[in-house]
Amino acid sequence: MTAVNPLLPQKVTLQEIVAETPEIKTLRLASEKGIPFDFIPGQCAMISLPPVGEALFSITSSPGCREYLEFSIKKVGAVTRALHELEPGQQLGLRGPYGNGFPLEALRGKDLLFIGGGIGLAPLRSLINYCLERRGDFGGIDILYGARTPEDLIRREEIMERWPAAPDTRVYLTVDAPYPGWEGHVAFVPAYLSELAFSPENRIAITCGPPAMIKFVLKALEELNFAPEQVITTLEMRMKCGVGKCGRCNIGSLYVCRDGPVFTLAQLRQLPPEY
Amino acid sequence: MIRYIQESRLEELFRILSRRGPLYLPLAEGPSLSFRPWSEGAPVDLKTVNSTVSAKEIFLPREEAYFCYRRAGRELALEPLEQEAANAVAFGLRACDLRGLEMLDRVFKDQDPPDGLYLRRREQTAIVALACAEPAPYCFCSLFGIDPARAGGADLQAWWHGEGLCLKALTAAGEELLSSAGELLHEGPAGAEEPPRVETGNFGLKLEGLPAGLRERFDDPVWEELYRSCLGCGACTYICPTCYCFDLEDFGHQEKGERYRCWDSCMFREFTLMAGGHNPRPTRKERVRNRFLHKLQYYPERYGEIACTGCGRCLRSCPVDLNIVQVIRALGGESR
Ligand SMILES: Cc1cc2nc3c(=O)[nH]c(=O)nc-3n(C[C@H](O)[C@H](O)[C@H](O)COP(=O)(O)OP(=O)(O)OC[C@H]3O[C@@H](n4cnc5c(N)ncnc54)[C@H](O)[C@@H]3O)c2cc1C
Ligand code: SF4
Ligand code: SF4
Ligand code: FES
Repeated sequence: MTAVNPLLPQKVTLQEIVAETPEIKTLRLASEKGIPFDFIPGQCAMISLPPVGEALFSITSSPGCREYLEFSIKKVGAVTRALHELEPGQQLGLRGPYGNGFPLEALRGKDLLFIGGGIGLAPLRSLINYCLERRGDFGGIDILYGARTPEDLIRREEIMERWPAAPDTRVYLTVDAPYPGWEGHVAFVPAYLSELAFSPENRIAITCGPPAMIKFVLKALEELNFAPEQVITTLEMRMKCGVGKCGRCNIGSLYVCRDGPVFTLAQLRQLPPEY
Repeated sequence: MIRYIQESRLEELFRILSRRGPLYLPLAEGPSLSFRPWSEGAPVDLKTVNSTVSAKEIFLPREEAYFCYRRAGRELALEPLEQEAANAVAFGLRACDLRGLEMLDRVFKDQDPPDGLYLRRREQTAIVALACAEPAPYCFCSLFGIDPARAGGADLQAWWHGEGLCLKALTAAGEELLSSAGELLHEGPAGAEEPPRVETGNFGLKLEGLPAGLRERFDDPVWEELYRSCLGCGACTYICPTCYCFDLEDFGHQEKGERYRCWDSCMFREFTLMAGGHNPRPTRKERVRNRFLHKLQYYPERYGEIACTGCGRCLRSCPVDLNIVQVIRALGGESR
């Protein structure tokens, strides 16, 4: 038996790179056959650019898109800075998909409440578009999305036009502080969530964003009587291998790279608070 | 059938075995002993128990490049690097080294996806186990049911007898090693059919007495005390046969270079440091706790066995004696 090396990236080409905000760009990657592998929403992939290294990102496009994978990437360090500087036609390394992805079966037939902050919309977007492609399989869809300023909201065309126009789908946008020209809502995401007071009945809440936001969102959901099983979130740990071997991303005996990054709040409560 | 070779002729045996491919033996490097490819005249030490660094590095090397890249304009070429593992022989592993390999196998071989680099080395390496004639004061492998005279998973079992080594094949690959040595080996001496029994200590610990219910003891005050002396040097993780954390890095320049994997240590702050400065294990307290809970709770929860072989390396090498026996005792794991 000769096993292939799972750490070996395959080659993909950057088709398009679009600036979403001053800090976030969306990259479109494809191999010769279109998408390099199948995946489910919530899964991630490791993008390589030697000699800078590799880093893990959520696949933000929907599995329904067969031509390319999209990643929305925030510039925070060495790899992300190098990725931001690329131009279309650049070849890159890619390996994946990694992680468990969202529990699609458990979401079927439910009303869905998406709560995102900043770059945290990236994994949610894959699932939102997946659900909209199979609209009949899911109940009502509510999307609450916030960022520091209007400039920091990503995927404008979708959040402002396409999603609000989809059947039985509502989008609530908010920014942290008043901003010239912004006529929408002003509040932190958790405060707006409490104000909107969604009922937990037959509803699943799915949240992703900066740790501080998640913390208060979880609290707000609890106050709205969402049970821990009805709340889904994603965790972020430093990662290298993506396949549960390098030892970096464990929380207790779970590895976020393969047992996560998607967890219900009920599962999180079983884990040592080390994330 | 038992075969026999005089100690004075071992060099000739090494010469024959090394013709097949790399022959790993415990070689002295100053005061340190580690498994390295043998070459003519190398300082082999088959007597000392135990090698300073465990035998894991034969299969999970300290560093190994696995692809090279070339960039020209927007083009990128990725080319896997071939390993030199073919037909290797690992000679002189102790029973605890082999138990350590079982632990690594679960992670790198049995858990999907298998690790191609590890698997190739594992499959292409014949293992000659060496029974311990006399355990070291640090050894406590008997706690984990290891018999130092009988190693599970080896191709050949060797043991000292008089002025030489007895050799007994355990697998077809072991038979083949013996027949390749031809004339060099004699018939084994009468009365030496099995390696002699050896007793090792257990520091007064019993498997049933090991701390249980650790899930509920994550916030136990014991951790608050234990970690304080730790220097965060990482030595414990490098020498331990059941530690396997690694890092992946690029080495090279814009046009050309390699990606390699190398040992890393969960005892380092940077190990879990995230972009933006957040660190889920920010101090030595969290890191020491994570390392020992990995051995005593996390690995067993996932793979069904405590990740310690009783090899005693951390007892010998930790500069502040923050070893697994101390930790088990601090957690109340005494048998008396
Ligand atoms: C499951 C998962 C999904 C993710 N999805 C996305 C996504 O969709 N989009 C996205 O943008 N991100 C995502 N991330 C985060 C992303 O992986 C990280 O932002 C990325 O790895 C950062 O890589 P980098 O090389 O740019 O930063 P690095 O250069 O590795 O890190 C920079 C940080 O490292 C530390 N650091 C590095 N060097 C030094 C030094 N010399 N001194 C002090 N500190 C230093 C600092 O904390 C600094 O902020 C995800 C992460 C996970 C785990
Ligand atoms: S436990 Fe001992 S060997 Fe390990 S990092 Fe701390 S001081 Fe070093
Ligand atoms: S924890 Fe110590 S005794 Fe146990 S296997 Fe590791 S180095 Fe050996
Ligand atoms: S990233 Fe290596 S174990 Fe999770």
